[in-house]
Amino acid sequence: MPDLLIWFLKCSAIYGGLLGVAAGMTLAERKISAWIQYRIGPNRVGPWGVLQPIADGIKFIFKEELVPDGANRWMFLAAPALAAIPAMMSVAVIPLAGEVSLFGVDFGNLSIADLEISVLFSLAIGGLGIYGIILGGWSSNSKYSLLGGLRASAQMVSYELSLILCILAVVVMSGSLDLREIVGTQESVFSWYVWRQPLAFVLFVIATFAETNRHPFDFAECEPELVGGFHTEYSSMKFALFFLGEYCAMIVMASLTVTFFLGGFQVPFWADAPWPVELAAFAAKTSFFLFLFLWVRWTLPRFRFDQLMGLGWKVMLPLALANLFVTGGLVALGVF
Amino acid sequence: MVIVKRKELSLAERLYLPEIARALSMSLRAIFRPKITRQYPEEPLPTNEVTRGQPRLVVKEDGNIACVSCGLCEAACPAYAITIDGQETDRFIEREPERFDIDMLRCILCGFCEEACPKDAIFMSDELELADFDRKALVYDLEKLKRPKSALQKRIDYVYRLNKRWQSSSSTS
Repeated sequence: MPDLLIWFLKCSAIYGGLLGVAAGMTLAERKISAWIQYRIGPNRVGPWGVLQPIADGIKFIFKEELVPDGANRWMFLAAPALAAIPAMMSVAVIPLAGEVSLFGVDFGNLSIADLEISVLFSLAIGGLGIYGIILGGWSSNSKYSLLGGLRASAQMVSYELSLILCILAVVVMSGSLDLREIVGTQESVFSWYVWRQPLAFVLFVIATFAETNRHPFDFAECEPELVGGFHTEYSSMKFALFFLGEYCAMIVMASLTVTFFLGGFQVPFWADAPWPVELAAFAAKTSFFLFLFLWVRWTLPRFRFDQLMGLGWKVMLPLALANLFVTGGLVALGVF
Repeated sequence: MVIVKRKELSLAERLYLPEIARALSMSLRAIFRPKITRQYPEEPLPTNEVTRGQPRLVVKEDGNIACVSCGLCEAACPAYAITIDGQETDRFIEREPERFDIDMLRCILCGFCEEACPKDAIFMSDELELADFDRKALVYDLEKLKRPKSALQKRIDYVYRLNKRWQSSSSTS
């Protein structure tokens, strides 16, 4: 089988899966929020409401496209795509399973690209996601949107620092910038970095919430103060794209958490498991973190903005720095 | 001036994380609690004899309507929802309505017609649902308002019980 076809098949499978999970997340969000509030949630469209995301999508397509007066038209149109595409791109480097062979065809490792610097790639692309949001806020010629976009960028920049410092601690210990090699260093359950780097794990999980603009850090989209935030002026499918981007970013962040700290696709107590089991293990671990995103959203109230900045700069950053310093020292002394 | 003494937070409280874990366990338990949503069209609203639904006309056991078209309900109606035209009959009770319309879009379900009626002919049923594609279809005529007495019996008994209670309490004073 030609390489190009294999590559095409892998791309379609992984991106189809990503969009499918993102659609499922919109349903899960509504279902779980309903359950936490003693409600039932959507159950009219299809059995158990499973076709609700499709109904929502069709509804979005048929809504009116609006471009506000005085908006910078091309920037305004480009912003949703800029928010959604980087979020999806990071998935390309996440190792989902080991060697895959299906119907006698060898597909290689299950990830679209095995880069030697995949950690850097995912961080770089993840950092681009903010452009879509701030561009959307700025180009819609509305002070609410602008404030929402500014808040989002301030928050993402502050928390990205702690996020990267936590990853650096893992990189220092594993000695690699390749996600697949980082997974390879976590073969047994006890060598997962969640045990060896507990502080980094906690800080990383908190920072992922801020990075994806999720509760309790969802300042970019405050309904009460900002009438919605950066997407106030958006309608129709452009509005949906922002949310698609947000859900894709959540999936990427959840899978990065699993890859860095919970052994990625490694199956506990079963070395060299067949690839479907590895994929299932990866999916199970990732779904826990996806559930955590929803669970926290419907549990905690929102921070105040100065508290958010205080937490980011005065607590998370010093702790992450100290953690990296101690880890680096211990690795240099040969303790690990 | 009042000096408010703030409670000193313990280390665990200042760390947030234990409290967040407590909150998370609460919402996790909430997921498995019984749901309070009523699936409305399939699960109808619970009604009993106190429910003051739309007014209906009583059809007696002999098949004749109890209404004698005296017009008291029409006069009592604060929303002017009732329109009655009377006619004569050969029966011992000489009058009956030729036309009895209640505009359900005007009716406010106050129950004054029930109180005004001297012949126990109009009662508030437990029927609450009101929907149509046409406003004219929601002006109910005689045929739509007629109900056999047995269908309204619980409400009739309740109204009698209520009236008796008022009578006895007023006689003692």
